[in-house]
Amino acid sequence: MRREMRALNRFGLGARIGEAERLNDPKGWVLSQLSGSSRAGSWASDLPSLAEAGDVFSALRRARAQRDQAALAEARAALREHAVRESTAMLSERVRTERPFLERWVAFWSNHLCVSTAAKQQVAALAGHYERQAIRPHVLGRFDELVLATARHPAMLFYLDNFQSIGPESQAGRRTARRGRARGLNENYARELLELHTVGVDGGYAQDDVEALARILTGWTVDGVGPGSTQEASMRFVFRAVLHEPGDKTVLGRRYRASGVGEGEHVIRDLCGRPETARFLAAKLVRHFVSDDPPPGAVDEIAEVFTSSGGDLQRVAEALVDLPDVWETPHRKFRTPQEWIVAVLRAAHFDDVPDSVPQLLRQLRHTPWAPSSPKGYGDTRGEWADPEALMSRAELARSMSRRFVGRRGNGGLDAAQLLSVVAPEDADAVRGLLTDSSIGMDERVALAIGGPAFQWR
Amino acid sequence: MDRRSFLRGMCVGGVATFAMPTVRFAQVPGQGKLVFVLLRGGFDGLAAVVPVGDPSYEGLRGRMAFSRQEVSMLDGDFGLASGLTPWTTLWEENELVALHAMSIPYRTRSHFDGQAILETGLARPEGSSDGWLNRLLQVMDGDRAGIAVAAGMPRSLSGAHPVSSWSPAQLGAVDDGYLDRLGVLYRSDPALHDRFEAALQLRDVAPEMDDMNGGGRRGPGRVDSIMTAAARFLREPDGPNVAALEFSGWDTHANQGMQGGQLDRLLAQLAEGVLTFRREMGQAWADTTVVVMTEFGRTARPNGTQGTDHGTGGAGFVIGPGVARSAVVADWPGLSDRALYQGRDLEPTLDTRAVLKGVIAGTFDLTSSQVNRVFPGSDSVRGLWDVMW
Repeated sequence: MRREMRALNRFGLGARIGEAERLNDPKGWVLSQLSGSSRAGSWASDLPSLAEAGDVFSALRRARAQRDQAALAEARAALREHAVRESTAMLSERVRTERPFLERWVAFWSNHLCVSTAAKQQVAALAGHYERQAIRPHVLGRFDELVLATARHPAMLFYLDNFQSIGPESQAGRRTARRGRARGLNENYARELLELHTVGVDGGYAQDDVEALARILTGWTVDGVGPGSTQEASMRFVFRAVLHEPGDKTVLGRRYRASGVGEGEHVIRDLCGRPETARFLAAKLVRHFVSDDPPPGAVDEIAEVFTSSGGDLQRVAEALVDLPDVWETPHRKFRTPQEWIVAVLRAAHFDDVPDSVPQLLRQLRHTPWAPSSPKGYGDTRGEWADPEALMSRAELARSMSRRFVGRRGNGGLDAAQLLSVVAPEDADAVRGLLTDSSIGMDERVALAIGGPAFQWR
Repeated sequence: MDRRSFLRGMCVGGVATFAMPTVRFAQVPGQGKLVFVLLRGGFDGLAAVVPVGDPSYEGLRGRMAFSRQEVSMLDGDFGLASGLTPWTTLWEENELVALHAMSIPYRTRSHFDGQAILETGLARPEGSSDGWLNRLLQVMDGDRAGIAVAAGMPRSLSGAHPVSSWSPAQLGAVDDGYLDRLGVLYRSDPALHDRFEAALQLRDVAPEMDDMNGGGRRGPGRVDSIMTAAARFLREPDGPNVAALEFSGWDTHANQGMQGGQLDRLLAQLAEGVLTFRREMGQAWADTTVVVMTEFGRTARPNGTQGTDHGTGGAGFVIGPGVARSAVVADWPGLSDRALYQGRDLEPTLDTRAVLKGVIAGTFDLTSSQVNRVFPGSDSVRGLWDVMW
């Protein structure tokens, strides 16, 4: 039963009651989820297009610019509604999916290349579309294609300010300088592209590399938001040559000949292929799927597969599942709040998430697409298991057991059954209380999902 | 004006001390309370403690330069940005030290490395070290306590010494019997047991927080409500000795703004929050020191989007009755092109560890060997012992 629980909880999004018993080949079940398209299925067909997301985005900007309080209130309400719709759809898919490993894989890369509403509220208009269209289609493809897709998505361009970065010597830069309105370079995205997305902070780059990369990426902007846009623009990625810094640039010792948008494509592919990137990603992946202290041998193995496959993320995913450490060693990972809530709902065979879930996640500091920095949300015990967080989970477990979890199934959910979805060694420790009939059943359900056994995967 | 004469000019007022900054920390009577406020994101020291007296300042900041009339002058050369104006009260009562041209001991423009170094108190970013506040709890005599009044446990307070955390979430009410039974379950999990016990203990104090105004985790009331909560924990006679607080939003890459702008509003919330904290502490304020720091300063020049990018030297504050006297403490390097670090940032001349060593020595009456254990590898960094009297 231990291998079944590893497959369902370590690689999946949480076992359902009765699911482990039906699983014949745990590892094969995980691997089989990687075949087929990674694109969003029919659940996403009614979700907003980029144009619709752009309308929500632009309405807020317009109301702000015009200082129109009524329009602003309306635009904010529309943004909130849009954000709840997007995050509820995403979370519901995680609750009902039969390919939970694929959803975990999407979530990992979406967080690795995160955009966030925390610093810029308007990102909420674009974040759902970003995950669906920039992240999801590429998670079983090559890493450089994935990063390029994020570099060209308006959510990333807006979130990390590249949309408004102007080459000082570009046509637009010189023109604004002549008018005494110096606008110019913003190195925010370039720095995080190096530090967080590719080679990592120890990747051997210096300030000059950051600035050169920022110059290369000038002109990568958003039609309708960036400099030079018209009112009725599309919100799509656009390369504007008039903003682009002329001349050759050098990043990490490699020279990039002046070639407009091609420079950026070239340098991003180079960064994605560097050995530092392979090491950085391998350590992060092993930390996420195996242990807060990644075993060095496992990291070496994943880095090697990443490099030899040319950054083929499907091969990397398979290699993770093949790691002996995942199946044989006693490592365990503390569930993040999103993982915990999704696991609770999956255990109880929910088909979608109740309306209150976005609010619960906000209270647990894990609102979708809202990490406090471009580093994304953490995934270690140190980052999530502080006393206040455990108490919050205890309180939410009680309220969920009253409001919906306790009412599932025929005559309600059985607390003892919930023990079948956690690791057997964790289950034994709590069995006594959960079968104590002097305690009301809905409290026993709260004890099961709020107790320690349910906090690990 | 060259650097030397600028320094001389600074000294004339007799308030700011420059040659080698000497800020004295008091042997505060009683137990001592320390609040470490981390401004995550790298706040722009040059737009908070504004060097209007530096001859290069106006040219360097251009349209983002403040005039003398727009700031509250502290001495002849530095003024507080308008958002921090409420702190002139602290200045007049000798409770405010502004630190400038200060930096962590490692040159990085990475938020994450910078915060890791500031929070671990080490000279280099290292994997899994305890936070310096946690090590402080470990080296102090007697049974000392620490609390994070924050969403999540800041690195600075994490480590081997058990600590608490609390944040003002309004979740569903639960009864004690349920929590007792849950406590029994947690006893079977050694990795989580201590943490859950700590959370149970905090519930005894927390119900008082119901009347906190402005609640919520965001918006203008947030800093104030966190500060109020921190004071209510710390002012108890057996309350924690050390608190870690953190506020984000300081990474002002674009449209940083001037008076009333993005940064200024954050500064105003911080200023009001600290004054609320002081009021709420009541008598316990006499033993309390508040330190405000950030992971790095920002570029000396504005960037192309009316903001500032990641830089090096920045500003910070030490606040409390224990400071020797109000002062701007900086070995001011100047803002001329030649003086800037790598031609772009304020050159750091003051190590954050020097300040923190002085603060903890003064606040908790520690020996220098204890202080050096809190900041391993810092023996050669002389603490600013005289920040406090």
